[in-house]
Amino acid sequence: MQPSKMEAMDGIATASLDLRSRMELQFEVEQFLYREAELQDDRHFEQWLDLMADDIRYFMPLRTNRSRREQALEFSSDHDIAFFDDDKATLIARVRKLRQPTGWSEDPPSRTRHLVTNVRVAVTDDPAVVSAKADMLIYRGRLERQVDIIVGERRDLLRRTDTEFGFEIAARTFLIDQATFLSNNISFFI
Amino acid sequence: MINCSYDQLFDPFVSLRGRLSQINEIVHCTIYGSNRRNTKDYIFRVAIYNAPDGVWHTPCLPALLNVNDKRKERQVSDSALKSAAWPASEIQTLVNEGAGLVDPRIYTDQELYSLEMERIFGRSWLFLAHESQFKKAGDFVTTYMGDDPIIVVKQRDGSIKAFLNQCRHRGMRICRHDGGNARSFTCSYHGWAYDIAGKLVNVPYEKEAYGCIDKEGWSPRQVTRIETYKGLIFGNWDADAPSLADYLGEATYYMDVLLDRVPGGTELIGGINKWVIPCNWKFAAEQFCSDMYHVPSSHLSGMIAQAPADLPPEALQVSGEGAQFRALWGGHGCGFVLGDGGYALMAVSSGQAVADYWHKDSIAAAEAHLGELRARKMSGMHMTVFPNLSFLPCNNTMRVWHPRGPGEIEVWSFAIVAKEASPEAKEAQRLVCLRTFSPSGILEQDDAENWIEVQEVLRGHQAKKTHFNVQMGLGRDLKADDRFPGDMDALFSENAARGFYAQWLRMMTEDDWSSLAPEVLADAAE
Repeated sequence: MQPSKMEAMDGIATASLDLRSRMELQFEVEQFLYREAELQDDRHFEQWLDLMADDIRYFMPLRTNRSRREQALEFSSDHDIAFFDDDKATLIARVRKLRQPTGWSEDPPSRTRHLVTNVRVAVTDDPAVVSAKADMLIYRGRLERQVDIIVGERRDLLRRTDTEFGFEIAARTFLIDQATFLSNNISFFI
Repeated sequence: MINCSYDQLFDPFVSLRGRLSQINEIVHCTIYGSNRRNTKDYIFRVAIYNAPDGVWHTPCLPALLNVNDKRKERQVSDSALKSAAWPASEIQTLVNEGAGLVDPRIYTDQELYSLEMERIFGRSWLFLAHESQFKKAGDFVTTYMGDDPIIVVKQRDGSIKAFLNQCRHRGMRICRHDGGNARSFTCSYHGWAYDIAGKLVNVPYEKEAYGCIDKEGWSPRQVTRIETYKGLIFGNWDADAPSLADYLGEATYYMDVLLDRVPGGTELIGGINKWVIPCNWKFAAEQFCSDMYHVPSSHLSGMIAQAPADLPPEALQVSGEGAQFRALWGGHGCGFVLGDGGYALMAVSSGQAVADYWHKDSIAAAEAHLGELRARKMSGMHMTVFPNLSFLPCNNTMRVWHPRGPGEIEVWSFAIVAKEASPEAKEAQRLVCLRTFSPSGILEQDDAENWIEVQEVLRGHQAKKTHFNVQMGLGRDLKADDRFPGDMDALFSENAARGFYAQWLRMMTEDDWSSLAPEVLADAAE
């Protein structure tokens, strides 16, 4: 079973919009995603948390090697183990942890770079909510020589807000392109 | 027809091949004789004759080599003291239990690692799977025993079989899926097909290619023994090893805090979190065996993160009241806090919902089943079953530290819950497990940071010559605590770590179970 949120996050193609509206929407979404990445990579985690909706599901399922016949089982499902399955409160706890003087896994801090590319935008049934898929390459350099590279697809539901950023993240799913996760931990955000 | 003894025929393998190739006219041979491997005095009769069509017909040659293969396996366990680089006398110097010293080359040396695969992972009971991973016949998971890939499959009669995930023809991985349901397993290389019991059932172009082939003899190697303990399926390559029950010994008393806390048994939440940490497997296994001491330092930030914002950090310090268990035999160990603070500790380490389930919703059933001591008084338990299976019952996590060379492990982490728990309680425990103990877990993140850096430092020549201190509790007057089975010490101790390394040393240096077996220890004590 695919995680249930994933279908909901496919959205509706923007073909019904005129070109100018599509370009504007694309621009708005991309700018939001770039600025969000900047907050993470510049370690402004408290401001980053402000972009997370109060009802967010922050989800990163496992990925497995399955036969073609059993591809429906490739991702762990909604009630299986996952890399992340957080709500707003637990995301706040994560930031609280890494800000502690004993938050060793991020002290000294990791050097992250969130590369956001191939952004695909779609509208949804809710005019205030936009679906955004993006391909991600997350680089982490840590301590003297540690390097981690995490590649995957991010699926966001972005809800319009009356803020400087213009959106909040109502749901985030990250589909990693690894079965055995090749890094020692994920002490950063995706 | 020639007659020869078992040793003449099979020892060593190379000379057998030489013998056959030197006699040019051999095109077909047959051996007779039962495989009574414990006796050396019986005679194999080998019949050799020319095939009239001048073509190799080898219905028996595979069987011959297969018998030899078993002989070879036997020799491996007999040769424990024959490493050129590491004679037993040298290995003995690496762990000094009495002085509490460990030579860190045990974490870095490739040759020692190879010996660990042979002597420890080749002879210990290793966790394979949980019974709840199999619903119907053909359900399978792939896993590892040490570095060796294994397929574990449920049979039509409900039993479990496990075999090496290696095609007997040219060594290809037979199954490349993490799990699923199969009617058979077909090697992608040349198409040899195996049934779910691991028997070779089909060889493409068999008649043209082989004439005929001994399918029974060329089936993948079955894991020699499979036994279960309360839902956990274990495998062992060594026919002479003690039973799983004897191997676990009194460790089961503590394992039951996770595996048999309430009636009805346990099940796994779906999915296995698999990730890589560049560190030696013993860092992880030993820490879960014996190290409550790291919690206040390593994990304080994670505990603060989950605690109410107004709770002072001092309130999060692990209480000094508690105990540590060291198995009398076997290298297993665990530690736990004792007292009435379990609910508060759990609320901090696992969250309110899980604390409510453990200490309110299910406490009466647990107390009736396990007794007051284990149900109410023990909390915050960590545990390792030697060599590489670990638990944290209160975080519902169970994991195997699969070794990947001296400097790397793959962590395979499972979430395990009581079958009888409500869906809400299971969901709460699932979430806490993955939020605390997984690659992203706010408690687990910091463990890898420590282990990696220890391993990195050991690149150093001087660092490798500098002993580690495993002395905590050494010389303390240990009194038997008749509330608990095993050798008991205080909450902060490295007694169980010394037990872990003592078992490591014994398995690395002792030839066979005539001296290693638990009953030998019991006899000596009497």
